[in-house]
Amino acid sequence: MSAAAMDAGCEPAAIGPARRRSNDRLVRSVWMIATYATCIAVALGLCAVVVSATGGSAAKVFSALLDGSVRSPGAWGLTISTATPLLGVAMGTILASKAGMTNIGQEGQLLLGAAATAYFATRLDLPGPLLITVSLLAAAVIGGLWAGLAALMKFSRKVPEVMSTLLLVYIAFQITTFGLTKKWLLLATVNKTRTNNGEPLPASGHMPVIRLFGNTVTWGVVVALAIAAIVGFVLTRTTVGFRLRMLGLNERTARRAGVSAAAFGGATLIISGMTAGLAGGLWLTGGIAGDRFTSAISSNIGWQGLLVALLARGRALLAILMAFVFAALRTGSGFLAATGVDRRIADLVQAMLVLALLIPPAVEALQNHRRGRAGAA
Amino acid sequence: MLGENGAGKSTLMKILIGLIQPDEGSINVHGNAVRIADPITASDLGIAMVHQHYSLVEQLTVWENVVLGEPSRLNRADACARVVALSERYGLGVDPLAGVSRLTAGQRQRVEIIKCLRREPRIIVFDEPTSVLTPAESEQLFSVLRRVVIDEGRAVALVSHKLDEILHATDEITIMRRGRVVDRLTTGTATAAGLAQSMVGRPVSLRSEAAAFGSIETITQSVDAAPVSDRPDGADASPAGPHAAAEMPVVLDVRNITVIGVDGHRLLDDLSITVHAGEIVGLAGVEGNGQRALGDLLASLVAPVSGSVVVGGKAINAGRPGALSAAGVGIIPEDRHDSGCVLDLSVAENLVLADLDKVSRRGVLNRRALEARAIELMDAFDIQARSPHAPMRSLSGGNQQRVVLARELSAHPRVLVAAQPTRGLDVGAIEYMSERLRRAARDGVGILLISTELEEVLTLSDRVCVIHAGRIVGEMRRDDIDLERLGMLLGGMAA
Repeated sequence: MSAAAMDAGCEPAAIGPARRRSNDRLVRSVWMIATYATCIAVALGLCAVVVSATGGSAAKVFSALLDGSVRSPGAWGLTISTATPLLGVAMGTILASKAGMTNIGQEGQLLLGAAATAYFATRLDLPGPLLITVSLLAAAVIGGLWAGLAALMKFSRKVPEVMSTLLLVYIAFQITTFGLTKKWLLLATVNKTRTNNGEPLPASGHMPVIRLFGNTVTWGVVVALAIAAIVGFVLTRTTVGFRLRMLGLNERTARRAGVSAAAFGGATLIISGMTAGLAGGLWLTGGIAGDRFTSAISSNIGWQGLLVALLARGRALLAILMAFVFAALRTGSGFLAATGVDRRIADLVQAMLVLALLIPPAVEALQNHRRGRAGAA
Repeated sequence: MLGENGAGKSTLMKILIGLIQPDEGSINVHGNAVRIADPITASDLGIAMVHQHYSLVEQLTVWENVVLGEPSRLNRADACARVVALSERYGLGVDPLAGVSRLTAGQRQRVEIIKCLRREPRIIVFDEPTSVLTPAESEQLFSVLRRVVIDEGRAVALVSHKLDEILHATDEITIMRRGRVVDRLTTGTATAAGLAQSMVGRPVSLRSEAAAFGSIETITQSVDAAPVSDRPDGADASPAGPHAAAEMPVVLDVRNITVIGVDGHRLLDDLSITVHAGEIVGLAGVEGNGQRALGDLLASLVAPVSGSVVVGGKAINAGRPGALSAAGVGIIPEDRHDSGCVLDLSVAENLVLADLDKVSRRGVLNRRALEARAIELMDAFDIQARSPHAPMRSLSGGNQQRVVLARELSAHPRVLVAAQPTRGLDVGAIEYMSERLRRAARDGVGILLISTELEEVLTLSDRVCVIHAGRIVGEMRRDDIDLERLGMLLGGMAA
């Protein structure tokens, strides 16, 4: 077929395509919004059914969740502060997954990050801002080292990072539990109780807060938002981000274009460990989980951050929104006791929402796949 | 059944075998109207097909593949005996206990033929049966087909786009174009030129398009009649003709390279090949003799265990990611989806991949520059896409190939490796690709053309090398090509 023949073939349709395309896009986005709404409604409906079945009132439960997360005094500040580590974890995860690396060990990286922060914040005698900076840097470094072990195993011995990052979580738990038995590591020097608690952070080791309309928000949120902005910018606007995406989508084409999987993939895995470690430091210094390190401090923040990344599907803005929603479910569940319903119902709502939000993109991908095949044929 | 790529030959054959349902029309088998709902119905009617891409399970042996899908209990001795009987009857020489993964393409096809003949079909369809065979293997195939037809009274439908084999092996010819039958004739009355014209729908120069139709004789005749001096592109006018090329500097020098595959198999075995600036070197060979490994080597996708790759006089660490691309070796890979493009990125992004400097400043992408460059290249290479931001996935195969070509040529390479550059393309696209390769050679790029289509190699190359079992087994200049010797080299026989 010559170029002339192709042009001639296109001519009759030449007026239409632009308008048809914008129509197409409109139809598709309306359809997408409708699917999301339906899925969320079905998920919440199913949750209501479970609440009623266990003898509670669905309306009261949702009202309590709202009270705990945004409506009651000081609630939204608490929710934003809780969203901070979730966002930190999620952005690192997004960066790594764009490069084709699957880090699922954030819970352990976060725990070690919090431990490192506790260790330095309780030992160094530095002025406030410097103390916080140093102890947060330590958190990032240890998180990066922990993920770096997985990177090392992957690129020297081909150990899948999905396995190694996950298994390293359990080792991280063992290490911190051990640390809490030794005073020269993490155990409080003056131990009033029998439980293994860490040394309380000094006043200068707490992250300063912003006071807004009766709410207090940790400064950590600014750090998390900065991470989100940087990751978003790098991925969409820079040559490094372009190379990372290329690596994640087609490793062989990327290699031919000069992108080394070991260098770029390893670096993103380490960076995602660093953000998870940093998130642990932010979580501890934010003070919401108490003023000292305990082995329960991570309390699923790492896993939930992973879910936030999953639902954000690589988009920074969506990650900010999802981190807030997940944080709201955490803070909201604190108010459930008053309704007589088990507080774990919040976990159910969370799980249902995750499933509900995963269905529309899956449907969309399936449709694109079909359309792609029809187009190719 | 003769026709260009996309003429509808395969669709028609798939209707016959029950893989596609016709919307209208009827099929008569032995005078009775039938409805072929699925391949099982087709098989009951005595219709069987040998597909272009073999459907064999590599991990199994020959007899296991042959009985695959039989509802009865497996009986190894019985199955082997049947394979041997069929193999002897048709002179196929297939060992029932051999593992399929160890067989050559020609042997695999013979296994497919046994699978097919075992059901005693009355009608056998062959879809492009010679695309991966050596000339000798093709000849053997046609003699089996003749026996099946003459001695046993079966009907054979041979689907092909190669003129010479259609003329050589058939009794009647049906020509299709754009989904219609445009001509029917008996082979005795047909000529190559006439067939080519009906197939394309316009008079064609057989010499310039011989690659597309696979008429080796035409090519060699033209070579004999007018060697080099009046090549269609007027190469004699340029300094980069085949004789001049020898005096041009060597741009690619692959020396004693050995590449070992994951299973310890030697993919390339002490292979050496050179390409001069402005020269097209054709690497002929039967599929699976190391062409893919050579392509991977020249794309920095594998590291050699020994040997060196020298580009423009500088030794390159070939295994380092991006090393050869940075040294100026462009490549149109054999499988563009594997290492030639990223389907989920946009056309504009696929047009830059390794060449980000032109569209960025201090590491930050300039989207406007990216788009402008894409529009420029889409224009220059006639790439049909909705917009520069359309995903690569949405383009047709021919246009995806043009994106790869545009990207590689616009990087001004010293060497361009074109691996099976026209596979799966139609005549127009083949013509375009051939012209682009010739033009690049005229501009001084050294071109290494890796192709299993002998005709393509013969039409385009100034020099032909033959690869067999990972080694270069022979080399000849364009003006003294000896087809017989070439055929023997392809088959791995010293000549």
